[in-house]
Amino acid sequence: MINTLFRFLNLTFITLCILVVLSFALAYFFPGDTWLNLFGAEFIQDQPTLMLVAEQTNVLMAFWYYIQALLEGEWGVSFATGNALYPEIMRLLPATLELSLYAITIALVLGIPLGFIAGMQYHKKIDNIFMSSSMVMYSFPVFWLALLLILIVSLQAQWLPMSGRLSLLFDIPHRTGFILLDIWLSDVPYKQAALYDALQHLILPTLSVSFIAFAVFLRTTRRSVADVLQTEYIKCAQTRGLPSSTIFFRHVLRNALLPVLPLLALQISTLMTNVMIVETIFSWPGIGDWLIQAIYERDFPAIRAGMLLVAMVVVVMTLSLECLSQMIDPTRDRFAYARH
Amino acid sequence: MIILDIKNLTLEIESNGVLIKALDKVSLTVKENEIRALVGETGSGKSLIVRAISGALPPQWIVTADRLTWRGENLLTMKQAQRQAIMRRDIAVIFQDPMAALDPSSRLQEQLLESVPEEFVEGRYWWERNRSKMKIAKQILARVGIENVAQCINKYPHELSLDICQKFMIALALISQPTLLIADDPTRGMETNIKKQILALFTHLNKTRDLSILFVGHDLLAISAMAHSMTVLYCGQTVESGKMKALRKRPLHPYTKALLDSAPSFSPDLQPKSRLVALDGTIPTLQHLPIGCRLGPRCPRAAKECVQAPTERSINEHKYRCHYPLHLQVV
Repeated sequence: MINTLFRFLNLTFITLCILVVLSFALAYFFPGDTWLNLFGAEFIQDQPTLMLVAEQTNVLMAFWYYIQALLEGEWGVSFATGNALYPEIMRLLPATLELSLYAITIALVLGIPLGFIAGMQYHKKIDNIFMSSSMVMYSFPVFWLALLLILIVSLQAQWLPMSGRLSLLFDIPHRTGFILLDIWLSDVPYKQAALYDALQHLILPTLSVSFIAFAVFLRTTRRSVADVLQTEYIKCAQTRGLPSSTIFFRHVLRNALLPVLPLLALQISTLMTNVMIVETIFSWPGIGDWLIQAIYERDFPAIRAGMLLVAMVVVVMTLSLECLSQMIDPTRDRFAYARH
Repeated sequence: MIILDIKNLTLEIESNGVLIKALDKVSLTVKENEIRALVGETGSGKSLIVRAISGALPPQWIVTADRLTWRGENLLTMKQAQRQAIMRRDIAVIFQDPMAALDPSSRLQEQLLESVPEEFVEGRYWWERNRSKMKIAKQILARVGIENVAQCINKYPHELSLDICQKFMIALALISQPTLLIADDPTRGMETNIKKQILALFTHLNKTRDLSILFVGHDLLAISAMAHSMTVLYCGQTVESGKMKALRKRPLHPYTKALLDSAPSFSPDLQPKSRLVALDGTIPTLQHLPIGCRLGPRCPRAAKECVQAPTERSINEHKYRCHYPLHLQVV
């Protein structure tokens, strides 16, 4: 257990180091002055000594200064707005996390049970219906789906709002950055109405992100359940005459879910990409929308900082999920013993 | 009284659009209090028979039989619940590979306790019932010869050695006190001492608890010591079956003779360093099965008629399927 934890911490640390090196290298790859790219114009104007230091140092020393600045929260200043990047990113990140969290929850809550049903009915009618419909869902490009939803639900039927997180009528003080939580914590008189409005804004983006994730979860779970049902030990439990419910809860459930978890960890990067696209389409004020704007404006410090943070989030989440799945798997050290 | 009666059991597997008969008209009976051995080479379909009886076959495989009955009730057509009840209380199966047959992600204790039939459990409240279950489990584990029960019971299958897992499988099978035990090569991969211990346990249960056993294996020496009767299987066909003594003394089918001759311990006057007797060739694969009697191409006595599958003939309780049986000219 401790070993696994240590191994994963080590892996996370090394991966993060590589990410920092890459983000540092970006400053050299972008056109223009390296230090300007790293920290932005205003930042350097404020600290003229830094310029002097920069001219005298070599790459290694520069990297050392860069790491120090990163750890101190000096992530540089945006070209476009002149704002410090670190507080801006920290203000935007919760919006993205909120959207991904809701989307992944919906996809998990629906995808895994339906995957179990499909797996239990392997190659029967229900399974075929689930498989073909999930194939269709999986093949939807997320940007097209989002546009389609806006076109039908927002523009034609006018049921739901098409952009933003909250109607401009409401003014909610920023606390955690998670909109539902913020409304809940605030003591504005229109709490109920604001909550309802925020939920309405959430529906379409969440739906478009969870659409594909749902299909993936369903297919993964179904495959795993079908595999477990084929195994010798399930057959053996059946020949012992155990009731089907006992077999399902004691033997199928755990063995089918164990291989699903690491596969879900792999889905996180895809999910983040989809969230960024959806944010742009729905003008969701999250890090994805902001990053794409930065790319349009050639805001090099912002691109570097945004990419670094998104990559960090993906790496940390993926690795911690994988670590978790290893730690709860009782068969994890199976291969430490001799094969029979 | 016959408890398990199988007549003309045929198992067909579809492979590349062609139906292959993996089992071809297999007949087998197990009487009350009898140890019946089922003998054959690897790949002759012994395990398939076990699976057909226990119902652990993939659904796409086609099982047909004139009779596949347990105490007169047809196992193939009965309701799922009824078959489940029979498998829970009357028939127990020990599968060949204990590592595959035990759930890798649950502790042995959970797997053992859930198999204890409710009828044996005493007490009203769950803690009393749990204690009672645990007591039964420990008794049975001690009986199959697992030392330091307390240590083993909390382990996962992959943490224990193969023979302890196999003993565990045996305990799982015996815990419901079945009438018939189907043991599919239960001593595979065990060292001789433990093997003897297990076989002695089977014999003991057979004598004291009236346990009938269908013993599948290829250890002829052990089988001849414990079994009352034997059925010989070759390539999915039963070639001969009868009382153990009669079969050993006077095998009627050429394959049975070859099988017995190939075991050195059965020929006491075998000279040192002499060649062992064996049939030429190897057992055919399922894709290249000969027609008629499947031993045909390898049989020293084969003739023209052998392309027709011989029907079952019997002399008293000695049944055989051969056009040219050995020894019969003399009788």
